[in-house]
Amino acid sequence: MDVTKPKLLEAKDGFFCNPPPQRAAWADLPHPPLSTGSPAPAAPASLSLHTLTAAALALPGLILSPAYALELDETDFQTSYYEEGKRHTYGVKSNLKPIQVDSLQGGGLLRLSDRVKLAFHFTQDTWSGATPVATAPLAWGGNHPGNTQSGASPLLQLGTVHLDAQLNPLQQNPTTGKLTKNTQLVHTLAMASPETRKQGDFNLGYEWDEAALNVGAGLSQENDYESRFGNLSGRWDFNQKQTSLNLGLSYTNSDINALLDHDATPYIYNTSAGLVNYSQIQSGSQINLVGGAQINNRLLTGNRQDWATNFSLTQILNKNALVVAGIGFTRNTGYMANPYKAVTTVFVDPTQKITSPSSVLTGTSLSLLEKRPEERDQWTGNLSYVQHIGLLDAAAHFDYRLFSDDWGITSHTFEFDWVQPLFDGWTVTPTVRYYSQTAADFYTPYMVSFQTYPGKPTFNPKTRVITLSQLNPNKLLANYSSDQRLSAYGALSGGMTVSKRFAKGISLELGAEYYTHAGSLKMGGGGEGSYADFNYYMVNASVKVDFSALTLPSLVGGSHSKQLDQDSQGDHAGHNHHGDSVGHNDQVAENERSDHSEHSQHGGHAPAGVMFSHMLPEAGGFMVGYRYMYSTDSGQMVNGLNPVSDKAMVAGGCSGHPCYVTPTRMDMNMHMLDLMYAPTNWLTLMAMPQFIDQSMTMRPLDGAPNLSTASPSTSAAVQHSYHAHQTGGVGDTGLYALVKLFDAPGHHVHATLGVSAPTGDTGIQMRDTHGVNIGFIHYGMQLGSGTWDFKPSLTYTGQMDSWSWGAQISGTHRLQEQNVNGYALGDIFQATAWGSYSLFDWLSASVRGLYTTEGAIKGAYNGIYNPVGPMDYTRNYGGHYWDLGFGLNAAVPTGNLRGNHLGVEWLQPVHDDPNGYQLPRVGTLAATWGYSF
Amino acid sequence: MKTTQQALSALLFIALVLCTSGCASVSPWERGNLAKPHMALNPDPMQSALRTHLYGSREASTGGGPSSGGGCGCY
Repeated sequence: MDVTKPKLLEAKDGFFCNPPPQRAAWADLPHPPLSTGSPAPAAPASLSLHTLTAAALALPGLILSPAYALELDETDFQTSYYEEGKRHTYGVKSNLKPIQVDSLQGGGLLRLSDRVKLAFHFTQDTWSGATPVATAPLAWGGNHPGNTQSGASPLLQLGTVHLDAQLNPLQQNPTTGKLTKNTQLVHTLAMASPETRKQGDFNLGYEWDEAALNVGAGLSQENDYESRFGNLSGRWDFNQKQTSLNLGLSYTNSDINALLDHDATPYIYNTSAGLVNYSQIQSGSQINLVGGAQINNRLLTGNRQDWATNFSLTQILNKNALVVAGIGFTRNTGYMANPYKAVTTVFVDPTQKITSPSSVLTGTSLSLLEKRPEERDQWTGNLSYVQHIGLLDAAAHFDYRLFSDDWGITSHTFEFDWVQPLFDGWTVTPTVRYYSQTAADFYTPYMVSFQTYPGKPTFNPKTRVITLSQLNPNKLLANYSSDQRLSAYGALSGGMTVSKRFAKGISLELGAEYYTHAGSLKMGGGGEGSYADFNYYMVNASVKVDFSALTLPSLVGGSHSKQLDQDSQGDHAGHNHHGDSVGHNDQVAENERSDHSEHSQHGGHAPAGVMFSHMLPEAGGFMVGYRYMYSTDSGQMVNGLNPVSDKAMVAGGCSGHPCYVTPTRMDMNMHMLDLMYAPTNWLTLMAMPQFIDQSMTMRPLDGAPNLSTASPSTSAAVQHSYHAHQTGGVGDTGLYALVKLFDAPGHHVHATLGVSAPTGDTGIQMRDTHGVNIGFIHYGMQLGSGTWDFKPSLTYTGQMDSWSWGAQISGTHRLQEQNVNGYALGDIFQATAWGSYSLFDWLSASVRGLYTTEGAIKGAYNGIYNPVGPMDYTRNYGGHYWDLGFGLNAAVPTGNLRGNHLGVEWLQPVHDDPNGYQLPRVGTLAATWGYSF
Repeated sequence: MKTTQQALSALLFIALVLCTSGCASVSPWERGNLAKPHMALNPDPMQSALRTHLYGSREASTGGGPSSGGGCGCY
């Protein structure tokens, strides 16, 4: 962002004494858009002042004075949903749900000083569903050997197959035995249970007058994959800032720890360590057995490293257009295969001879874990052109990328976006994108290898010993993969984004995109067959708050700030400093208005774990907040008040049914967005969308019944519990009205009436295992209640001097007997009371008592369900709980972060009396951030 | 293929360097349109990060952008 140009203008205008109109005018002031990040027009107004200050000081960059500069510039949250269409299964009826992904993103931009910015982001994705694991000719059974309707399971071991002399697949008529050529291919699909990835990253930037330097780092974690990355980039402006040079370098180091598929492991060969027998794990291999003899999970480990550099030049062409051209080079080394993809391989005994064109070969079909080169060099060239369309005030964005690597893949990407601002802050952006790639050299839908199939027994009559033939990897291709991402295809996508920017810097956005992948869309033809075609759609919604549009007055700090506050009493800035009064009643706000210095005195925020604790003090006020809650249960299971042994659980933990496993730990993370608006001063409306992720680990119970007597589906469910179970996604959405009932100096009472809409999924199922449908996951792992719930509460808050206190009763009543999946969670009643003392003008500490009672689950799953442990029985839910909470609240009373509030509270269980058999609670952490304006 | 691409990239840069001297000079006060938020190279960074991640998990080619990290995308 240009920080120098507008100096004169500002000095002349003295903008900071009269903020709103000047800020609007600022948007039209000229400054070049050479920073690609966030050129929010309203933001830079303050910058030049800071630049002046900084320039006057001898050591720019070393000055980091919060009173003068620390500022939250913007924050944004985004949630999105991705879903694929069903794949072609060629007549096989598949009950597999396609891949779906729920994502949550949040971030902020913090200005540490006039020249130093810190950006931070958090991303979380949870996905589940069916995805191709291999490809096979339909003639050989493909995804349905023996004409059984599988489709539900990745049957990778196909058995005996026939080929013609040209190695085309032959299909055998089951009645006549006649063989006919059929080259149609089909994917073998496998189901993935929900899994969650989380990523956090930051970027620290320093701006000079004509240059910038950014350094960033981050971490991405999922069960089977962890990436750590760092990057460094710089920008240099020259030629009167009409040209910018950008250089970037990044490094990523990733560890793969993949638990290989339950279903696929018996059939996959470990070729990475050389000659290996059928289904055997060899020392020195990257696959090891873990989890102990009973569990025997196969864990594949690997590491990869990625170095990437890019270099680009941005050039202003004229008053209305600019262009960017760049090149990039990326080098990957290490394990780059996908540990969940296999390649169907036909082993043809070399003793068979092709004597005529009509010869028929017989082979044995098995599947191998895919193998990719351990090095990859990639080049990219990209060209972007942005043109302002004067008549419509629109922006046309054209992007082209050329990609080429030493795996044989060349791709072209074309994208066109038209950003059209309309009236009243509305903007629509239609987008179209086309992508086309050639196949990797080692891409193959399936392989044929002329060798005896591995594991073939040979009996030696002399020694009377049976030996198994071994795989000869030298007779395979050096690398092989049938991942459709490496095939030749094209993809066309189109989308539309609509956004609305409200007063006070809030923007809401809704976007949708539809994407179609097809072999026939490849540029120049020759793409993969239509069996690999698929499509997806993605929708996203986001809220962005641009604080620079809100906090302009406070940027000046010190005496200017006071002056400004006095100047602005009763008008726009009056709202601003009401921002301080998050969590206060109107009286407090009144006090603040009369004496600004008393900002620091209140400290009356309720503890972080208390919801609906405050109303907005004034009509027209907004608040945006974020609320996080983490809770964990772990330890020895309890029955009511007493710890229980495995033996006791086997005997009684499962309501008289066989009990095989017990949970060992359960974790839950909740992210909530807190959006408040006060249409009048006695009413505050509130919306609270939620995003949840949960995980549960289990272990086999000592003395559990023998699995050999269990049904196949129960057995599969028990096997399944040896993996951690995860779920995540959008939770229920709360809509509330807070009504003021009583308000006197130091005392305030309000009632909250609201409903929780069942937007969270309650139908999550575990993936099929060994072709068996296991059905619903544990009740406690679903993401919502599934019912419309009534949520009333009554809150009292009081305050005197440095003390504040409060009490609240709240309830949750399920308005429906059962949800679509056949059950309803129990009703909840809570009572809590707290006291808080201001330690400093900005910090207060709280102590709180909390009592909760929750009923057991009513009804039961109405579909396929295989209970295996206490967490699968409805009577083992709910109970009576007592907690003690210890909290801290910080409210920023002055300076540029004024109006921000942070709270944190730990809830320590002191007494649990759960229904039935449950894990003991370890505690709950609640954290909140809020900003009102 | 690689040489084709390198040649193309080189051409682009020559074009740009020529342009640097040949393009119309745009004074700071003439950059009002260029400074508009919808004229930014990436007007919607959060949505484009999401879309880039989806493309990256469904296509063989990545890169050319400033992003790094991103996980397996194995599904």
